[in-house]
Amino acid sequence: MSRDMMSTLLGAAAAALTLLSVANAQTTAIMNGEVHTVSGDVIENGDVIIEGGRITQVGADLSAPTGSTVIDAAGKVVTPGIFAPYSGIGLVEVSAVDDSYDASPDEGFVLGAALDVRDAYNPSSTLIDINRAGGITRALSTPGIGDTLFGGRAAVIDMSGNVNSITKGDAAQVAVLGSGAALRNGNTRMGGWAVMREFLDEARSYHANPNDYVRRPHDGRFAVSDLKALGPVIEGEQPLMVRVDGANDIRTLIRLKNNYGLKVIIVGGSEAWRVAAELKSENIPVLVDPLFNLPSQFEDLGATLKNAARLNAAGVKISFYNPPGFGAHNLRLLTQQAGNAVAEGLPYDAALKALTLYPAEMFGLDAQLGSLAPNKIADVVIWDGDPLEVTTQPEAVFINGQRQDLNNRQVALRERYRDLSRGDLPHAYRGGD
Amino acid sequence: MQKLGWTALAVLMLAACSQEDGGAPGNDGADETPAADETKAAKTADDSADGADAAQEAVRPPTDPYPSTYEPYPSDVVLITGATLLTGTGAQIDNGAVLLQDGKIMAVGAVGEVEAPESATVIDAGGKWVTPGVIDIHSHLGDYPSPSNASTSDGNEMTSPNTAQVWAEHSIWPQDAGFTRALAGGVTTLQVLPGSANLFGGRSAIIKNVPSRSVQGMKFPGAPYGLKMACGENPKRVYGEKGGPGTRMGNFAGYRGAWIEAEAYKKSWDDYWADHEAWTGKDDDDEDKGDAPDAPERDLKLETLAGVLNGDIRVNMHCYRADEMVQVLDMAEEFGYKVSAFHHAIEAYKIADYLAENDVCAAMWADWWGFKLEAFDTVPENAALVHAQANSCAIIHSDSATGVQRLNQESAKAMAAGRRIGIDIEPKDAIAWITANPAKSMGILEQTGTLEPGKMADVVIWNRNPFSVYAKAEHVFIDGVLMYDRSDPKRSPRMDFEIGQLNNKHTGGAGQ
Repeated sequence: MSRDMMSTLLGAAAAALTLLSVANAQTTAIMNGEVHTVSGDVIENGDVIIEGGRITQVGADLSAPTGSTVIDAAGKVVTPGIFAPYSGIGLVEVSAVDDSYDASPDEGFVLGAALDVRDAYNPSSTLIDINRAGGITRALSTPGIGDTLFGGRAAVIDMSGNVNSITKGDAAQVAVLGSGAALRNGNTRMGGWAVMREFLDEARSYHANPNDYVRRPHDGRFAVSDLKALGPVIEGEQPLMVRVDGANDIRTLIRLKNNYGLKVIIVGGSEAWRVAAELKSENIPVLVDPLFNLPSQFEDLGATLKNAARLNAAGVKISFYNPPGFGAHNLRLLTQQAGNAVAEGLPYDAALKALTLYPAEMFGLDAQLGSLAPNKIADVVIWDGDPLEVTTQPEAVFINGQRQDLNNRQVALRERYRDLSRGDLPHAYRGGD
Repeated sequence: MQKLGWTALAVLMLAACSQEDGGAPGNDGADETPAADETKAAKTADDSADGADAAQEAVRPPTDPYPSTYEPYPSDVVLITGATLLTGTGAQIDNGAVLLQDGKIMAVGAVGEVEAPESATVIDAGGKWVTPGVIDIHSHLGDYPSPSNASTSDGNEMTSPNTAQVWAEHSIWPQDAGFTRALAGGVTTLQVLPGSANLFGGRSAIIKNVPSRSVQGMKFPGAPYGLKMACGENPKRVYGEKGGPGTRMGNFAGYRGAWIEAEAYKKSWDDYWADHEAWTGKDDDDEDKGDAPDAPERDLKLETLAGVLNGDIRVNMHCYRADEMVQVLDMAEEFGYKVSAFHHAIEAYKIADYLAENDVCAAMWADWWGFKLEAFDTVPENAALVHAQANSCAIIHSDSATGVQRLNQESAKAMAAGRRIGIDIEPKDAIAWITANPAKSMGILEQTGTLEPGKMADVVIWNRNPFSVYAKAEHVFIDGVLMYDRSDPKRSPRMDFEIGQLNNKHTGGAGQ
């Protein structure tokens, strides 16, 4: 099918969507695409049927249900939506503008673990629209880390921008160890680890008998609300996402995990490949930035572009996160990061899993999300080519079975200024409809 | 850096960006670099300035006191054959060949058109792509090196809003591991700039990406200097509570005041040389001849600014917003200098016509945005919309030790975004964004930046179309020397910091 015909069909589908979205019962048949189910095989001429917000059928030579919107995806690639497992999405608009930045507290603020992104998450952020247009359908909205070792409670959200877009609140707790913890605790790694153990001991003490704990005198170093929030962490139920890089710190983290019975996800892990066998046997996943390969600090001496490939080869579950400083604005670059990991030896199917299924697993959502399989929530992307390629873009994005608007503020700006001629009225009168 | 919270990270990012801008266009380097003996003569004259020797020459401050000692290593004659060539001049040659000899590109053309001597090493590059060496017009490698800590942070002289007297080359640490990683990304030439905290950040250095024990050993022979200047948020943020400027109007007052001083300084030297020439012309027996005129006092800061007014030093202006860029161009008109490139030109697309009319390059990222308000309005089509104007000069820059490793991918994204809105851009066009156009802006296009006979043999062989996420530079030649071979660990530079590490193993190197 020609690109023009595709556009026409997509245009028709978009028009249909305008009518159907109100009805909240969109049935869509994506036909004849190269379907990467992720949990199963690649289907060369595959079909995906979406009904009532769920995927109902995936296979070849399926029939489009009566009344469904049919999208011919011939020559296109169909994948599950991309899941960004660590981001500031919904918490930041412009990083340097205080009143648009809620991702982490200023220096000196006393609470950490108690903070909950659900209190601040802004579904109207322009970042959501912009990254949705890049194929991101779910993300962990993640608090940054302030003065305490803990950042607070992250939530899995969908990228629809709807008012009710929290998929799972209290999905993970965030912490920093290693050099980052040292900075906050006497400027020695020993300080960071010692304070972390104190924190966990205190949380155990609180949860053993909260009423008794609050009656006893305390020196005030640990806020009760923080200790309270750590309940599911010390129970080993809630993932503790730990920013840590060096191999040495990772080994200490493994000891901590086993001493306290924690469920741990590593964020960063620039030298994780050096500890790959232990991470595999301890079942610890790692979120890597596959583009990070510089000895920025002494703990990063082993940083390499091959981190992702080596971890995966050792059986460690990986996913990707954006480099520091851009952790909210350009989640859409996760596919490029994955492509670079593939160029450095990560198998293609593992890269796709890292973008979709593995994050869903990390947050206990793999029964609902992360692959194209019957009964799963229909987060689906149709790409105009290889999704990991830098020249590729989504042509259609579905979240909860609803086809999404791919317009965004950057599209509006572009359209406003495509024609620079003076015109009859200033540019401020153009676009915006 | 990776360990900090979002806030800290954002601040660090700002610091990095504030460290970055720079890059001014200037004249071609050739006529800016005096021959060594001229420099020596000038120094001698300077030393004897007080002597009032009747035969003395006019004092001329040295223009190249830290001269390049870069010299290419020995190279083979190399014929690269069977590849797809992107020449940087707007051409794509399928099944092409390039001959490298004596450090230069000797011939470029279709296979069969290029003849090689029998002694040539032949690289069968069927299925491969060949481009000019990649040029990053905006780098802080060496002045913000890896490892990154207080000891090595040398990129931003944040002590005064005008530090035009500082030179980036005096901060560059040649042992920065980042240079090796950039090499694996095909980068053969970089402009290293001071940061953007100041209105006037200081001089840039243009270097070849060849390791050396000294910065002088990396300096691009004959390249002009650039001056880094910065618009907008960074200077007012840094100096708002330190005596100013604290506003954008304060920024402009600061620039203009400095240009007025520079005009006076330039005039004092021009007058001095004119007076001296008149004095020299007088007969020694002339009773009115008197003593030789006194040279003005040298002022390093004003010397650099006067160099801009002379057209010797190229202005690299960190400027995000369209309205500020337009203001800057009026200021350049006011004082009679030229802006070579706007760096981080997030809003270039809003004034793409105006930039083209004024013959100013726009150096851009493909898609970075949102870290501060002046970076809020980018669009992925920014570079393509700039490119689409007649007589345009679009450049993709990195400003990043990781971004510099993948300027090809950044260009690919920007190209694809343009194509999706119907702008006709092919790889043969977009390759100029990271080769010929930065070379033009930096004043080194006569020496490098394209695959043309006579130019430096700065050449990259990619394993496939470089406008792909899977593309890797396999061979990187600089002045005809194979500086990087992806398949040969012996042809991969490794900085001192990275050897004997991790239980006495070597780490790092290009391609790490």
